[in-house]
Amino acid sequence: MTTMNKSLIHLLLVCCGTGCVANGAREVYQALKDNLTSDDKAVLAATTSARATGCHGLCAQGPFVRILPEDITYCRVKAADIPEIVEKTLKQGEVVKRLLFRDRQKKALVQGQNDIPFYRRQTRVALRNVGLIDPSSLQDYLERGGYRALEKSLLDMRPEQVIEEIIKSGLRGRGGGGFPAGLKWKACAATPAQPRYIICNGDEGDPGAFMDESIMEGDPHSVLEGMIIAAYAVGASTGFIYVRDEYAQSVASLQKAIEEAENHGFLGENILGSGLDFDIEIVRGGGAFVCGEETALIASIEGHVGEPWDKYVFPSEKGLWGQPTIINNVETWANIPVIMERGASWFTSLGTEGSKGTKVFSLVGKVANTGLVEVPMGTTLREIIFDIGGGVPQGRKFKAVQTGGPSGGCIPAELLDLKLDFDSLSQAGSMMGSGGLIVMDDRTCMVEVARYYLSFLAGESCGKCVPCREGIKCLLEILTRICHGQGEIEDLELMEDIAETMQQASLCALGRTASNPVLSTLRYFREEYLEHIEGQRCPAGICRELSEFWIDPAICTGCGLCLPRCPVEGIKGEKKQAHRIESDKCICCGECIDSCSFQAIKVK
Amino acid sequence: MSEQECEENIEGFRRIIYGFPGEKRYIIAIMHELSRCYRYLPRAALELTAEYVGVPFSQVYSMATFYRAFSLQPRGRVNFKVCDGTTCHIKGSNILLDEIYKNLGIGPGETTADREFSLETVNCIGACAIAPALLVNERVYPRVNAAALKEIIKEYRGGGDNDHHE
Amino acid sequence: MKLIIDGKAFNAYPGDSILDVARREGIAIPTLCYHEAFGGQGSCRLCTVEVTAGGRSRLVASCTYPVSEGIEVKTSTPAVEKIRRNIIMVLYKRASGSVLMQKLYREYGCSENSLGEKQEERCIVCRLCVLACEKMGTSAISTVMRGIDKRVGTPYDQAATACIGCAACAHICPTGAIEVLDSGNIRTIWNKNFNLINCERCGQPFATREEIDYVSRRSGIEDAELCFCEECRRKKLVGKMQGFSPC
Repeated sequence: MTTMNKSLIHLLLVCCGTGCVANGAREVYQALKDNLTSDDKAVLAATTSARATGCHGLCAQGPFVRILPEDITYCRVKAADIPEIVEKTLKQGEVVKRLLFRDRQKKALVQGQNDIPFYRRQTRVALRNVGLIDPSSLQDYLERGGYRALEKSLLDMRPEQVIEEIIKSGLRGRGGGGFPAGLKWKACAATPAQPRYIICNGDEGDPGAFMDESIMEGDPHSVLEGMIIAAYAVGASTGFIYVRDEYAQSVASLQKAIEEAENHGFLGENILGSGLDFDIEIVRGGGAFVCGEETALIASIEGHVGEPWDKYVFPSEKGLWGQPTIINNVETWANIPVIMERGASWFTSLGTEGSKGTKVFSLVGKVANTGLVEVPMGTTLREIIFDIGGGVPQGRKFKAVQTGGPSGGCIPAELLDLKLDFDSLSQAGSMMGSGGLIVMDDRTCMVEVARYYLSFLAGESCGKCVPCREGIKCLLEILTRICHGQGEIEDLELMEDIAETMQQASLCALGRTASNPVLSTLRYFREEYLEHIEGQRCPAGICRELSEFWIDPAICTGCGLCLPRCPVEGIKGEKKQAHRIESDKCICCGECIDSCSFQAIKVK
Repeated sequence: MSEQECEENIEGFRRIIYGFPGEKRYIIAIMHELSRCYRYLPRAALELTAEYVGVPFSQVYSMATFYRAFSLQPRGRVNFKVCDGTTCHIKGSNILLDEIYKNLGIGPGETTADREFSLETVNCIGACAIAPALLVNERVYPRVNAAALKEIIKEYRGGGDNDHHE
Repeated sequence: MKLIIDGKAFNAYPGDSILDVARREGIAIPTLCYHEAFGGQGSCRLCTVEVTAGGRSRLVASCTYPVSEGIEVKTSTPAVEKIRRNIIMVLYKRASGSVLMQKLYREYGCSENSLGEKQEERCIVCRLCVLACEKMGTSAISTVMRGIDKRVGTPYDQAATACIGCAACAHICPTGAIEVLDSGNIRTIWNKNFNLINCERCGQPFATREEIDYVSRRSGIEDAELCFCEECRRKKLVGKMQGFSPC
């Protein structure tokens, strides 16, 4: 079988991540299979193999077909393009230029994936296999060195050596708080009670974050391998992967991986002859953001409503069913095998003093190259957003970047040179969270963003403790009032007062961080709050009661592009003459602003 | 589902529920399976679940109202889920909601009288790079605007289930 | 083990919460969701105190924080007082209809503020009623929904089969939020009507048929033994015990 693989000439990697599937990647893959197996191309079928892989990362340009060994990356591929790719590239060795990535800055076509600026600056550790392997194939994972770390850990190391290695690596949990993973393991191993449990937190709930999804979908074995190593290190016999309800594809991918791992002796009894017995079970979440909090997640696995409890005693001592439990998130687990294989000192060579290794960010919002980005800790926001992400599209101005999901905060342009790690983000009044980076331009209202997060949390808080439940309710009411132009200047102080109590007295991390969106926007964008309250205007043109649009006649060319986009027929004007907006009709939906190529439409 | 229909379905509920071990920790899994089959959680099925796993009915009901994946109201044959994650939100998910209301007359959490369409909002489906995203049953539609939405509704109207993609 | 509360040393047992010790020693820490019968829930957070352990100070809920050797507790610092005041302030906005909340609102000196319209509910979602019902073994009520919509109710807000009309929920409720309507021989609670039984001795209606049956079934005591109201039962007991000195 290995020799057959070697005789292959071409390997085609079709991205089947969520974003690409929505854009028709499955059809592309099917078309490719059909074309390869049809009779007259029998030769091709023998010399070419096609893989449906996990997310390639640059979702904005998908679906992708990447051809190895030449490394030709085709973007925005449709099923109809496949015959041409087969005919030209596979048979005649020609590149289909119109499908190549277009580097706008250099005004050039780029052929290889690693020549695309988006990829060039990345260091893929957690995502090392995502996009390269067929997640349903254990063989693919093994070929990339999979389960070697497990072998090394189980057969050549003692459990305490494994724990020591993880402590030395300085790996901090990638799910939010950044607690050192090795210390959790150590505490768990030191607690006498049995049985012990291993949990993978796959309840990725931060809006704007999808790195865990891409790992579960695209490289499920890396998660399993990390968990099995931990099971050996702390002496656990059962593991659970709690997957967010919305991630059906992740469940399927993990399920398949577990079956294969069982069939090949990586899971089950006496793993690799080491004497370790370990099984993994998948638990589907019920759709509750708060279950990303570890005690709520544990309650959910046990079959309760997902309400957290006070963590004065950590789950590593008293967790699932009261037993010692290690709980880490997907990205953390995916890091474990590489650390064990390449050593803690290799891992610590990446990153900053307090945050080692790399971090996967999902770069989304008002940025040109949206997708998943993995960079060493300490990379600046500017590098990620502008060099990798290609900056803000449509010539608009960068205003803020939201990090850390609803528990995080908004970071302004002045802090673009902030080196991203756990500590710098906390100091800036935000947090790492799971690594969502949502870029906002000058058409984003920061008051409305704060209101959005609070309304999200109003529905997602478990509602158990008073500071969180009632605090969120009060903040949301005040913010809504401000967005409607009914805010008062005293509101700002009142919000800060309530926010402080929420931070200090709430039961769990959700409540303690729920006021961050308000506090961070008040800290960096207080002016904008004042504009809403005292100036009675929303500078971004988002809050309808406080916005008015007008067309600058000096800029408008009368091209007419905006006319059909207006849903209320509120724009008037002759062709080639400056248009105007009838303000009594205008609903401030912003369609016209987005359609104007000259930025002639302004917010009063 | 009417009382009578439920009566006839008790057998169906049993088949689903008894397929799981009778332990508390399988309640969510049972609810997922019931939802998949009936598009909501019928009361009689929840009562049977409570009895089967040995948990008070009030606690099972509490869970059914706590977890967003479940609905106590029948959903439509075609279920629209508008993603209202941050990215979709700043890219205009509210315009989709307005448009669905205009076309079908339903708001979030509602179902059309003919039980054809229902609408809900969901928190980030992890498709931020292609926002705003719309989920119709299990299919994700990328970068949906008002015009695209009209087409999508048309596709599903009159029995179209649009599963030729799978 | 020993710990210090407000500068004074006290003894504690392993497994005690800070609040357990404080209650035992007569140190006042305010609570809303706490009841001896159920232990700490950690949900109202009014019992927040400042704890110094291992050189690190933090604000914790005293009802769930387990004591450990040598910790130092301060039950009233400016930070603690501010938290309590703010908790009362935001809770009052929900439950301004409750006399208890009105009293606390005044006591804590919550300033007039722009928190806007107050709701005139009485329930503060402390959940003591749910725990009481659970303790009875009936579990007819539970919390429903989540987030800011969280509340207490019966399934589908309909008369619950499991409810025996014992009104334990109403008795334990600190804000009088649960309506029990006894009118003649009919009790109405949680949308369910019950027939009340008259006390064999004084003739006053005192409990529901369902409650008597339930208690009899669970305790094995004959129905007839249970058909006395609390006061008459006490009197009966005293009659029986005459001649014995109380221990």
